[in-house]
Amino acid sequence: MEILKVTDLKKTYTSRMGGSQVQALKGVTFSVKRGEYVAIMGESGSGKTTLLNILAALDKPTSGWVELDGKPLASVKERAMAAFRRENLGFVFQEFNLLDTFNLRDNILLPLVLGGKSVSEMKSRLSPIASSLGIEQILDKYPYEVSGGQKQRAAAARALITEPKLILADEPTGALDSQSSADLMRIFSQMNRNGQTILMVTHSTDAASNAGRVLFIRDGVVFHQLFRGDNTNEAFYKRISDTLTMLRTGRDAE
Amino acid sequence: MKFGFYPRLSWNNIMRNSRFFLPRICTEAGLVACFYIVLTLAMDDRMRRVNGGNYIPTFMWMGVTILALLSGVLMLYINRFLMKQRKREFGVYNVLGIEKRHVGKVLFYENSISSLLSIAAGILTGMLLYKICSLLICRLLQTGAVAGFYYVTPLTIFPTVGFFLALDFSIFLLNLVSIALMKPVELLQSCSAGEKEPKVKWVMLILGVLTIGIGYYLTITTESPLNALMLFFAAVLLIIIGTYFLFVAGSIFVLKMLRNNENFYYRPQNMPAVGGLLYRMKQNAVGLASIAILATGVLVMISTTMTLYAGIERVLAKHYPQHLYLEAGYSKDGNEIKYLSPSDLESIVSIAAEKHGAEIKSVEYHEYLLVSYYMADHALCTHSNMDVDNLMDISSDIGNYFFMTENTYRALTGETLDLSEGEIVVCSIYNPEGLKDITGTLTIHGKTYRIKGNIYHYPISANYLASMFSCYGVVVPDEATLAEIYGGQKTELGQYASEYTRRVAVTFADLRKAEAAGDAINQDIIAALGEISDGAEWQYTLDTRWSSKETMLGMFGTLLFLGLLLGAVCLFATALIIYYKQISEGYEDRTRFQIMEKIGMSRQEVKKTISKQVLLVFFLPLGVAGIHMAAMFPILIRLMKILLFFSIRLFVICTLATFAVFALVYVLIYLGTSKTYYRIVR
Repeated sequence: MEILKVTDLKKTYTSRMGGSQVQALKGVTFSVKRGEYVAIMGESGSGKTTLLNILAALDKPTSGWVELDGKPLASVKERAMAAFRRENLGFVFQEFNLLDTFNLRDNILLPLVLGGKSVSEMKSRLSPIASSLGIEQILDKYPYEVSGGQKQRAAAARALITEPKLILADEPTGALDSQSSADLMRIFSQMNRNGQTILMVTHSTDAASNAGRVLFIRDGVVFHQLFRGDNTNEAFYKRISDTLTMLRTGRDAE
Repeated sequence: MKFGFYPRLSWNNIMRNSRFFLPRICTEAGLVACFYIVLTLAMDDRMRRVNGGNYIPTFMWMGVTILALLSGVLMLYINRFLMKQRKREFGVYNVLGIEKRHVGKVLFYENSISSLLSIAAGILTGMLLYKICSLLICRLLQTGAVAGFYYVTPLTIFPTVGFFLALDFSIFLLNLVSIALMKPVELLQSCSAGEKEPKVKWVMLILGVLTIGIGYYLTITTESPLNALMLFFAAVLLIIIGTYFLFVAGSIFVLKMLRNNENFYYRPQNMPAVGGLLYRMKQNAVGLASIAILATGVLVMISTTMTLYAGIERVLAKHYPQHLYLEAGYSKDGNEIKYLSPSDLESIVSIAAEKHGAEIKSVEYHEYLLVSYYMADHALCTHSNMDVDNLMDISSDIGNYFFMTENTYRALTGETLDLSEGEIVVCSIYNPEGLKDITGTLTIHGKTYRIKGNIYHYPISANYLASMFSCYGVVVPDEATLAEIYGGQKTELGQYASEYTRRVAVTFADLRKAEAAGDAINQDIIAALGEISDGAEWQYTLDTRWSSKETMLGMFGTLLFLGLLLGAVCLFATALIIYYKQISEGYEDRTRFQIMEKIGMSRQEVKKTISKQVLLVFFLPLGVAGIHMAAMFPILIRLMKILLFFSIRLFVICTLATFAVFALVYVLIYLGTSKTYYRIVR
């Protein structure tokens, strides 16, 4: 059962003066099954961020379409978009994007508050997530009082709390040290084992080796993909690393 | 390269940061202009010579002092804001290898450019507006404008320029010190430093409640006008302190209460607003309190001066049932005073009036004795047996007593009282706390009189100076009784004793006509007195409605002008604080709202949240100003009673009108600045 279906996605940016055009995406097609853990890799400028923005409905494609759980994103009206995003998607960002004005508890609850959920429901949803992410003790702290790893776990909790169909993670380990990165990746794997579908954009081979499948984007198209199969993280790491090397040398040879 | 590197860099900085610099330059120019105008009004001799203009210099010097203070505070506020926004920039300079002394140089040039621009613009504006302002004053004083109002003198330009140059230079030095004390890392981070969650300051909260409470208590319960004068400034000070305390501690307390109420707090429209306010309250509270205080200041200044000015005619009508009072006597070679007879006085007045075409309608002859006593237990005591230290305690019992014989009373009113020996009749003419009957007995200089009754009209109105205190009229049976009282107070008070008043009270047929020739009539009467004097030493009292009107117009007209000017400056200051607050917060809020949009807050919700927050921040001070004003109402009424004001209705109308206009301007400022805010946040 496919939860995300991306078909022939193209995005062309026109410079402000209308002169030169840049094609960020040149026809991206892939799909994600329910319960899958997919990593998207690519170098800077490969179109990763553009792709993620379109999937998050923060940007519109020039052509092509995106379906989330059978519903085309293009069919969601502008006014309903915020609610749609809130109910169906969870986000984890590289720079955490926690609000300084709230403590971690309120940051995590914010999507539910915006969704108009009752206080009792908020509480019953918060406690299992907080305990599984190991942040129960610091819920009353403010973002500037905790470490980067703790912030990112709080951000993950905020993404999970709406029980979204899909979690979109944009370089979630980008601002973390290696120990915190490893912790976070363990949490992502655990979330995935509990049935959560995750789509993660990264250029860290370490992070990608946790996923079930890795898509490689180059020059605005899906260039290659790897399935984990029965590989351990280490073996998968090696294959991803080899593929990246190949991609890089292949480009140099062109 | 025509200019040096630093001047050019500074000029570019000013242009690039025009959003911050332009309001600063405009504000300073405005302050310079006001300062210049008020100072010039204070020193312009021609203004003083205008009818009623003798109050102008005194009041204008007062205005100069207040303006100097306001300018200092306002410029410091703007500077603090500007520096906060730019510390990061200075930090980058520092990291790039520009030393602090070079940053100092940049600052120096920036300050000089903005200072010179503002002062030049301000002086020019001031010169242009001076004519308008002096015309306005003449209009308020109801006197003809003097020709040639362009009045330019280095005597007022140099002090103005000097004052503002000194002010700017001290601010520059202050900045230099604060930059020198900062480490580059701190400079870089000072913009983004996370604010700790504010704690409820219980001591401050309690102190705030106490100070405001005491302040309000004083303003509401102070009864006597003299006490009001003494306690007014204490009350104002308490209320100002209390406002700051309550805004700082109380707002956090309330917000925390709101946050602890989960069913209120966890609502889409409440949580972002409460969180945002709580996060910023520490820095916000002081600004909001300042706005509330400035707003109260505007309301008080404009509404009171307007009421006083608008009340002049009413006061005159009350205190001058007749239009001209003349009393004259002479003493030759130190002998006892001989008073001019009523017919002599009348002929002097009628000759002068006839000469200027003012027709006399009626003439009355008043003979009475006015003595100040304080009343203690049905006895009137003179001030000689009174402890001066206790003056304030008993000031509410001090009264002016007008004594006249029954004959005089009958001649003036046509009513008969049938008083027998030892009987008197009492009339409460005026009392700040409301007229009250006196019954039973009254002991005056050791003799006890039986009060036969109270009357409710007394033929002599209290002179306005007398009505700082309560005033009573007393009718005694005969000349002998009056003489007894006269003698009694003469013995007790000696040289401070009162003399009889024997005057003619003239009413004119056409007051306007008489008023138009008022000054000439006065001069002719004085001249006529001089002619018959024949070297004797004259004592006379000439009290005319028009002279009082001129005095009052001069006093209250000048006060009104000052009230309007200072009110406008305060209003402008309010607008400015709001503007700077909005744009500085706009930049901070921008990231917050971007994040909220990313995690699923719609544009509409963002907009709703913003307007909720902004609305609260805006209208809280206005509401507080309204409450302050309401609380200060009683004491202001009592204060104005000292300045001869009577109608509470008029005061209410003036206050409501001021509040309405102020609120309107405030809403306009709100709409203007929130537009800027939205533009930044978007």
